[in-house]
Amino acid sequence: MQQSSILLLFLALAVIGVIVFTYVYLSSKKVEQSEQGMANPQKKRFWFLLILFVILGIFASVTIPKSPYFLFAKETPAKTIHVASMQFAFFLSEHAIDPENLSGESIELPANELVEFRVTSLDVNHGFAIYDESNRLITQTQAMPGYVNRLRYKFTEPGTYNIFCLEYCGMAHQIMRSSFIVK
Amino acid sequence: MESIKLRKITSVWILAVFVLFIVSIVLGILMRLNQGEIIKQNSVTFYTNMTTHGLTMIGIWFVAGMAAINYLMERYVKTSYTANMIALVLTVIGVLMFWATTFIGKFHAGWTFLYPLPFKVMWATWATPLFLVSLTVLGLGWLIWSISLMTQILRKYSISQAFAWQHFKKNPSVETPPFILISMITLVGVIACLLAAVVLIVLFFAEFFSNGSFVNDALLMKNLTYFFGHTIANEMLYLGLAVIYELFSEVSGTPKWKTTWYVAVAWNCTLIFILTAFFHHLYMDFVQPEGFQIIGQLASYLASLPAAGVTVFSVLIAVYRTKIKWSLTNLLFFIGVAGWVIGGLGAVIDATISNNVVLHNTLWVPAHFHTYNAMGNVLFSIAFFYWFSTQFTENNIKSEKLTMATLTILLIGGIGFLLAFYVGGADSVPRRYSTYPAEFTSAAPLAVIGAIFATIYLIAILIFFFNISKRCLKVLSSPS
Repeated sequence: MQQSSILLLFLALAVIGVIVFTYVYLSSKKVEQSEQGMANPQKKRFWFLLILFVILGIFASVTIPKSPYFLFAKETPAKTIHVASMQFAFFLSEHAIDPENLSGESIELPANELVEFRVTSLDVNHGFAIYDESNRLITQTQAMPGYVNRLRYKFTEPGTYNIFCLEYCGMAHQIMRSSFIVK
Repeated sequence: MESIKLRKITSVWILAVFVLFIVSIVLGILMRLNQGEIIKQNSVTFYTNMTTHGLTMIGIWFVAGMAAINYLMERYVKTSYTANMIALVLTVIGVLMFWATTFIGKFHAGWTFLYPLPFKVMWATWATPLFLVSLTVLGLGWLIWSISLMTQILRKYSISQAFAWQHFKKNPSVETPPFILISMITLVGVIACLLAAVVLIVLFFAEFFSNGSFVNDALLMKNLTYFFGHTIANEMLYLGLAVIYELFSEVSGTPKWKTTWYVAVAWNCTLIFILTAFFHHLYMDFVQPEGFQIIGQLASYLASLPAAGVTVFSVLIAVYRTKIKWSLTNLLFFIGVAGWVIGGLGAVIDATISNNVVLHNTLWVPAHFHTYNAMGNVLFSIAFFYWFSTQFTENNIKSEKLTMATLTILLIGGIGFLLAFYVGGADSVPRRYSTYPAEFTSAAPLAVIGAIFATIYLIAILIFFFNISKRCLKVLSSPS
């Protein structure tokens, strides 16, 4: 899972960082007056920067195409779901939602087909975050007043998916939620 | 050299920052205890505490950095005591007004007060305008202070010298001290983000007084909010780095750091990257132009190059197999740089758009910014506080054992409290929830662990507080 890999990567890098700092600190504690500092520091700095630049360059070129804006951009969604958010509820519908006459409906989505959520807010900023059955965050977008964010996703596993608000929106933010079914 | 008045006002800043820091940590621990279901607060109290905790922390570590660079700048240029005093008075007034809006008025729109939340009044009706006024007062004081310091630099150094552009060529005729270069770069960023805050507050007030005839654009307001919020949170870290460039070698008994061509290039690049990286706060707003999103990721990545390749590498070179006079000051600087690096790693991971889609607004966010604040920037400032307080009094922390014990407590508390955030973030636990829905089974136990370790961290901070404040009070009571 993506989050587990992220945590592992982070912990591995953090441990390397701690080892380097500890090693450098201990090297200064043990040092004799005669042996001073690092040999050829500028050359090492150059290589360190170059390697870091290359790693970051590779990371950027691999990850940027995977950004949600580009995923499924050229496909046509099999289903479109309209989402209106307001303190402290989500209204989901297969039809356009009338802000004057709010009503939502229970949603069933097809598995392995592209779905587009058209997400907006009728009051403040909200988050529209989709969690799978193991309560793992799989994708999200923001719900912003005056704008419609189009979130595209292909659900591969059937089941009940929860929606939680992930943008702080006031005193009942923590109970703002909804759900839908994928069959 | 600095005047006695400057010593005294710096002592007042230090005491104020420490007291507000301790109160804010306690609020943070209460929040984690509530999330852990150990105590029961209603959600309004939780979000009120969250708002107070966030803005107070940002404010105090910003002024701590400013007070430190103001004190050290006196070595190079005369600074204005009046501007320093105005900033102090307006900060006190601003904080009192802000605390009135939260503790009395129950204002709880979060420290980012994301438009239009402050207008959806769920608190006393006077709290929203007073909150905006409190921000105006704080912003005004800090703007006067920043502009005054920059003006003093520019009285002695030309613009190109202040930015160390002459160092781009070989054998420059004038040397710009690294401290002046970093202060200048940081002050430009600070002034830019404070001006964005001015525009933001004006737009808020325009809507507030328009009786519904003027409505702001939510996307523009969000861009302005994060240009201000992201930039000020980063610039306060750079204020701490200016202090390290000035003091690390001095307290270590090693040769003073000099500006070289790559230091000059790195810090000039930093200014550009830091002013464009804020776009990463809007990745999940898909209506934002895609070009800005990609600039956000690239700028966030590029910002790490000068930081790692110049500052961090220089600190490591300065220590590696070099005889160092270790004291609490340079140990805190050194640990703080490590904390800054590790928090930076968490930040770069989150600033990757394809990761952000599963990390945005989870506990990963407080995880990384608490790392480079609580284990980075805070330590830079406490290092300065300690160094400052030992300049005029004799009773330094003599016991090396006490120093090491305090640092061990700080590290244990800090690492444990941060790990609870990181693990929660990777487990998709949302941030800014007063209590957790039943689905998030790990969230409450992690919050309890976080609270316990944060309390251990607080113990270390209290030891520093008693030690340093005792001496700052002596400075204050000494004859003028």
